[in-house]
Amino acid sequence: MLDKELSDFTANKKQTLGLISMDAPLISNLDVWVNIALIKQYHENLPKKTAKNLTLHYLQRYRMEYIADKRNSALTHKERFIVMLLRAAMVKDSIIVLDRPFTIIPDVQDDRFIYDALQLISDSFKECHIFDYMWFKDRYGIINVEKS
Amino acid sequence: MTELIERIGKTSMDSTATFRDILSFAFTILARMFQKKTYSSAMKMVLVNQIYFTSVQILPLFTAISIIFGSLLIGIVFQIIKNMGLAEYLGRILMGLVVTELSPFITVLLIALRSSSAINAEIAVMKVNKELRTLDTFNIDVIDYLFMPRIMNGVVSVVLLSALFSILALTSGMLFSKLIFGMSFNVYTNVLLKSADFYDIVISLIKCCTFGFFITLIPIRSGLHASYDLTSIPVAVLHGMVNVFIAIVLIEVLSLILISI
Repeated sequence: MLDKELSDFTANKKQTLGLISMDAPLISNLDVWVNIALIKQYHENLPKKTAKNLTLHYLQRYRMEYIADKRNSALTHKERFIVMLLRAAMVKDSIIVLDRPFTIIPDVQDDRFIYDALQLISDSFKECHIFDYMWFKDRYGIINVEKS
Repeated sequence: MTELIERIGKTSMDSTATFRDILSFAFTILARMFQKKTYSSAMKMVLVNQIYFTSVQILPLFTAISIIFGSLLIGIVFQIIKNMGLAEYLGRILMGLVVTELSPFITVLLIALRSSSAINAEIAVMKVNKELRTLDTFNIDVIDYLFMPRIMNGVVSVVLLSALFSILALTSGMLFSKLIFGMSFNVYTNVLLKSADFYDIVISLIKCCTFGFFITLIPIRSGLHASYDLTSIPVAVLHGMVNVFIAIVLIEVLSLILISI
């Protein structure tokens, strides 16, 4: 049911979709900065140095520039989430879609980490949508499902 | 008996389908090679890395193998030439044997063992880990970003390393020409230059390019045929490497036929 809703939502948004999902993992043989910079390098033909500097600038917002040269397997859950978020935000006029974010950050109890992370790069994306199971509504502080 | 015939038929049909599939993939790649949009900043970065891993990292080992193997073979060939009284054909035999046959073949075997298996495993793992799907999600064409740099690297690496092998083998031949034939450096160089046929060099270049193209294309295609199970990775690598070695033999045979025309 959730997969179908997600699929229907993303169907016409491929050009601007910034997906954060366990079904779109980081590329394991690339460093963190390359995973993020790849989007700009490929779509906007940004030179390597410029793309790297841009990536480091965004990582600095989270005080995570130290992870730039790490690989996926060396990241914590939160670090991985931030990298996936930054990668999604690199898409031009990005519509960020978070697909079941608590599967990426299982050690996080509520949505504060997610919203704080989104706040730090609020200038980098157009919209953000979160898709999750109804039984996680408490984690988002949602009382009435219909109203939300 | 019927079962045997059925099995032979099925194997033949599967092999034909595989061959047709490889050729179709090859034409797709060739068409993309001449499109400007293929060459993004990301692609160029991957290409440089691939050339480093394939050609530069292997240089010490490759140089040692070229000198040792090349020298030994040249020494044996020179001794046979002397014993058979074929000294006047020294240049032609060296150019024909080393430049056209030995250099491409030894180079492609080394690169196939090292790089083709790595590429095959890499693509299969990316398929299993859904990383190919990630690239598709972000509108990154896998042919442009993943396959093209690896295939172009294969072509460039085989050509360059084969040339290096030829140079090192022919240089070591200088020593043996002095020892066995009492030939000076000038005479030896003269013999080689007079025997250098433009047609041989063109055939050698085309052969190297073809080798480099298919020993990277076939593992990529094989990696893509992995399923989403981890156990499919070694199967994909096995099939890929068998097809690579069949391709090497086929290309070698075709080049021999071309040379004899």
